Amino acid sequence: MSTHAQAHTPVPDAGDAMPSYYEIMETAVRELLVEKELIGAGEIRQMLEVMDTRTPALGSKIVARAWVDPEFRTRLLANGRATLEELGIDFFENTQLIVLENTDKVHNLVVCTLCSCYPREILGLPPDWYKMKPYRARAVKEPRAVLAEFGTVIPDDVEIRVSDSTSMIRFLVLPERPEGTENFTEEQLAALVTRDAMIGVVKASAPGKEKSR
Amino acid sequence: MTPTENLVKRLPTEMGGLDAGPLQRVEHEYAPWEKRCHALANVLDIHKIVNTEEKRRGIAALGSEMVEKLTYYQRWIVAFANILFEKRILAPEELARKMNEVAARHSATSKC
Amino acid sequence: MTMMEKSRAIESVWPDIVKAEGAEPSFQAGDEIKISMRFPVGHYRVPTYIRGKHGRVEAVVEPAAINNEDEGFGRNAGVKRHYYRIAIPLCELWPGYAGAKNDGLRIEVFETWLERS
Repeated sequence: MSTHAQAHTPVPDAGDAMPSYYEIMETAVRELLVEKELIGAGEIRQMLEVMDTRTPALGSKIVARAWVDPEFRTRLLANGRATLEELGIDFFENTQLIVLENTDKVHNLVVCTLCSCYPREILGLPPDWYKMKPYRARAVKEPRAVLAEFGTVIPDDVEIRVSDSTSMIRFLVLPERPEGTENFTEEQLAALVTRDAMIGVVKASAPGKEKSR
Repeated sequence: MTPTENLVKRLPTEMGGLDAGPLQRVEHEYAPWEKRCHALANVLDIHKIVNTEEKRRGIAALGSEMVEKLTYYQRWIVAFANILFEKRILAPEELARKMNEVAARHSATSKC
Repeated sequence: MTMMEKSRAIESVWPDIVKAEGAEPSFQAGDEIKISMRFPVGHYRVPTYIRGKHGRVEAVVEPAAINNEDEGFGRNAGVKRHYYRIAIPLCELWPGYAGAKNDGLRIEVFETWLERS
């Protein structure tokens, strides 16, 4: 699989640097579709604005809310999309969301072996490693070894469930609430929940050990 | 069984269970054109001009060498071009001319 | 109410209703199934590593939907059928699986890929 993430240098979109062949292609396709009135002139910009509001911070808030509000948690686990739509979080097309609850008996993680399905409406765009061969090849075959590479060790008496996304369903892992957080506010709780915890490759951070992702 | 059958039976984009090395814990900040490409995909799907499943199929149809060597969004935009040609929404010549026009804007403004 | 109980309740009020093809799921949670063994050319949404494997239906996904393999070629109409969330033990998938015996895969599979086992 490609190692583009090592070779790729992010290029700012301004100035005199010639855009890449592919950026030129993207621009040309977009402009032609707008000229032919198949897409509206402002639609891409509007979609970018929608995308910018979907980041792991949104997911962290949802997890924190589920930790403090048992009734919300129950509804979230019963129907992820419907419960989040009530909060104003909309989803594309027929996408569904299943929230996978981690417990002391079950640890969930999420992968897409066929492509790169990911709960983008909640977490935004996925990290490169999620889309690259090692994770996608090994998560379904040796999840414990994969988790160990993230520093996550799951005891043998805990069942690992790997969800391989193949349909319109997307998955968000609801990590276990860390010990010693009984008096935390929702904001403090959200700070313990990283993107990687919501993919299921790490647990939520312990208090005082908040990580950036 | 002919050895080439496996190339057809297993899509180049399918990774589950293959032998692979250690995780590559890489992340990069998405370039603006990559985000625009993602936005384009969403808009095309909403309009049902190219749905998400067609995009996936189009990416696999690039074949194993391109799937391996092109980056994620590079695969997307080439697949979109091909699918739009198949659907007679765009024609190869018109896209090629438009690409020249776009490139020329930058040559015109670049300092020598 | 289970799906069956609901169906029976509805049938008792509207006994003459015949449902459209595919509207009623063919499988229920708990059913033992086998993933079909076949090899579509060009596009598929059932990974090769589960083909021919045995599993159990964990849940019926509602509502019924278009076959996503057909959608890959631009078909957005046709008989809708159900997807099913299938549980398959990892030791069923991988000979010599080294993890815990309870470890499992969960994966959504379209009805046309499932057989009774």
